[in-house]
Amino acid sequence: MENPYIPMPMNVVKITTEVDTNDIKTFRLTFVSKEDEEKFKYLPGQFGELSIYGKGESPIGIASSPTDPGYVEFTVQRTGTLVGGMVTTALHDLEEGAQIGLRGPLGNAWPIDFLAGKNVVVVGGGFAFTTLRSLINYMIHGENRKRFGDITVVYGARTPGLLLYKDEMAAWQKRKDMVMHVTVDRGDASWKGREGFVPTVCKDVAPSSKNAVTVICGPPIMIKFTLPVFFDLGFSRENILTSLEMRMKCGIGKCGRCNVGNKYVCKDGPVFSLAQLEQLPRDY
Amino acid sequence: MTAFKKIEDHLRKEAKNLLEGGKVTLVLAYARGFDEKHPVPCVVKAAADADHLVFNEYCTYNMARYLTRYPVGTKIAVAVKGADSRAVVQLIQEGKVRRDDLVILGIPATGMKNQKTGEVIDAKTTASTINPVLYDVLLGDEIHGVKAGSPYDVLAEFEGMDKDARWAFWKKEFERCIRCYACRKACPMCYCDPCFMDASRPRWADKSPTDDGTLMYHLTRFYHLAGRCIDCGECSRACPVDIPLHLFHKKVAKECEAMFGQAAGMNIEDKPAMANFKGEDSDQMLG
Amino acid sequence: MKKIAIDQFSELVKVLAERGPLYAPVKGKEGVNFQAIKNPADVTLDFYNTVLSPKSVFFPQSEDMIRYRITHGATEAQPVPQESRPAVILGVRPCDVRSFEIMDRHFLGAGVIDPYWKSKRDNTTVIGFAFDVSAAADPADFYNTFGYGAADPEGSDVFMVRTDKALLLKSMTDRGKKLLDSLGFLQVAGAQDEKVFEETVKKGKAVRTRSAEINPQVIAKKLVSVFDNGEFWQKVTMACIACGACTYGCPTCYCFDISDEMLFKEGSRKRFWDACTFTDFTLEASGHNPRPRIFQRYRQKVCHKYSYHVDKYGCISCVGCGRCTRVCPVNIDIFSIVDEANKL
Repeated sequence: MENPYIPMPMNVVKITTEVDTNDIKTFRLTFVSKEDEEKFKYLPGQFGELSIYGKGESPIGIASSPTDPGYVEFTVQRTGTLVGGMVTTALHDLEEGAQIGLRGPLGNAWPIDFLAGKNVVVVGGGFAFTTLRSLINYMIHGENRKRFGDITVVYGARTPGLLLYKDEMAAWQKRKDMVMHVTVDRGDASWKGREGFVPTVCKDVAPSSKNAVTVICGPPIMIKFTLPVFFDLGFSRENILTSLEMRMKCGIGKCGRCNVGNKYVCKDGPVFSLAQLEQLPRDY
Repeated sequence: MTAFKKIEDHLRKEAKNLLEGGKVTLVLAYARGFDEKHPVPCVVKAAADADHLVFNEYCTYNMARYLTRYPVGTKIAVAVKGADSRAVVQLIQEGKVRRDDLVILGIPATGMKNQKTGEVIDAKTTASTINPVLYDVLLGDEIHGVKAGSPYDVLAEFEGMDKDARWAFWKKEFERCIRCYACRKACPMCYCDPCFMDASRPRWADKSPTDDGTLMYHLTRFYHLAGRCIDCGECSRACPVDIPLHLFHKKVAKECEAMFGQAAGMNIEDKPAMANFKGEDSDQMLG
Repeated sequence: MKKIAIDQFSELVKVLAERGPLYAPVKGKEGVNFQAIKNPADVTLDFYNTVLSPKSVFFPQSEDMIRYRITHGATEAQPVPQESRPAVILGVRPCDVRSFEIMDRHFLGAGVIDPYWKSKRDNTTVIGFAFDVSAAADPADFYNTFGYGAADPEGSDVFMVRTDKALLLKSMTDRGKKLLDSLGFLQVAGAQDEKVFEETVKKGKAVRTRSAEINPQVIAKKLVSVFDNGEFWQKVTMACIACGACTYGCPTCYCFDISDEMLFKEGSRKRFWDACTFTDFTLEASGHNPRPRIFQRYRQKVCHKYSYHVDKYGCISCVGCGRCTRVCPVNIDIFSIVDEANKL
């Protein structure tokens, strides 16, 4: 019998410190076993349980895209001061060459087939950009690009130093087949880009809701103020997608922790449309 | 002693008056549960609901436990029996509640019964204080002439054991612990947030119910309540597997009283024993 | 049907305990509870119901899932092998027997099979045990609400009825039949015994516990519709002190935590019961807690059992055993709460 609680061994081949506060790092993992690698078929929006024996497991969104085979990437924020944060702290203490565990892919994914043929507006705030990065890389990869309409990205962080994936952002900004709007709440001396909050930028950019879907991930406060902007632009609740966060343990719908109403975020989510969320009790 | 029924009438009347007069915004007392023998702690916010209040021999709960739930400044009337009133005093000493915010409805009572066993809760088990030590309104006559022994008499058997026997006794008792944390949650003095048991960095004890973790939990709790436990016995009554936690608390309380000359929650002017340094304090614990 | 004289009962216990793990009621200081039997004389049939539920047999309070050893950064990890000898659980009350099937729907359903539950469940023969149908039910019980009788054999592999002098044992499944057939020392029950058995089952159907009209589909919708009625939830849960006693006592509460625990080089990843009533149940490492207040957590508990479980698995996850009410330090009674919500 398959045991869904057993992690597969992974090599940590590359660790990138993403931000100037040093508390967000991207871990590139490769599979120890060829068999595991072949079985690991995922889509953007899914997550995995990173495992360190002796510390525990932590559910983290997959930041890489399946269009980049051979490895999986996870961007991890070191969290918690008194309660929680055991695993993320341990991950941050790792060096390249270490071995950790992974269970996954878990959860549903950004609905690729639903997005196909539509204009996609990706809105991200701060650290919550990880599975959006996966989605963007997926959509703009080679032949995939033709499957989607216009791609507009609004990405914001508090300061320039807190923006993730800076090299990639720079490359995306040069592309002609997508529009990037990178913003910070407060710039510094060297910042030449946009300043302003994500909701304000969305309002300025005013993407058309015609045949369009928006995919929004960010801190609750950002989402709260961004949603009305998209309502005003005429986006229907079915066409606003987000990824929920709840405390998780098992990741497979058994431990009973991450439910919102009758949905388990780990199994029925984490991706939900606003229309779906509005059917659920406000318990998240 | 005033009959329970009469105390109940007074309780309803007082609650009604206090709420009607706007003196308090809520009254913490007891209401009927799924049957008479199983009352529930209850909060009444409207004068019209005061008639729901009950008082009988099964109203063992220490309502002081709920005081720390409300923000400082909330005007609260709280029904307290003897030991419960000590919890109020101790909470005032520790700065968790303010005397001015409270209307203390004192209930002198003997013959309170354990709901599970029907056994009378007297000094033999817990709740050795019969008359409230602090109150604004007394809901029944003070009780005098009841021969209350020392609250520590019950320890005789326990103190008669040698070290190994005591160790064996507690190990056996703790084997049953299911870590539901009812003891800490029922305790009026357990208000730490987060409790050390819920902290993960550092993690002081296993989260899973291992023997070592259970020992760590209870021992730390026992000592964290040194000089603070007011002997209401709620921990033992709350325990679904009947671990006699009050015995250990009593033992620590006895040592504390001997060393520092004060029992917890007896006097509003006292400072908490463990937070107060006096030149003449016993240094016995330093060996 | 088979039978055994009451004074021969210990013989049955002895044989079962020799063959493999046997779980049966044992009297302890706190009352009677299911335990793995080492000494056949420990088993008692003199109890109303166990303090804690029998779920611990299939879903132990704490269970090692993976054991590992870490030396100089290298980790050797092994899933914990599961007991392969057939086991027996003896003395399960009818309402508790029904809890197993409710738990099956969760642990074996929704597309993911939980191997730890499955291996123990597959391996274990359940011997149900009728309540004393001539005695009153505990005031906290409400299993009649779900249509369960005090002597319903459904769900048991073997169902046991106690008469004055004997225990009647009737097999209800193939697995039960196999077990009884293998116990050569049992007597064959006569026609009179059959009659007593049937009469007991019938008598057990009379309403003896608290009972209310609760339709799963209706209450499931009802609870969602009153979800935002904060006043109601705060009123009915005011007394709750947010301990975990009710969920630990419950035969159908399955929420668990997973944690790694190590001593020196060796450790295990274990799962163990958790309670949705605990403050930190949904506390995220970020500090955000979607259910910081007690009424929100208790509401989750009620809605999970009477609404979400119905939506997901088609049945209420409660059997009316009354344990949550009995073990609650402040007498909160889920039956009264659900009944009141139902009437809102």
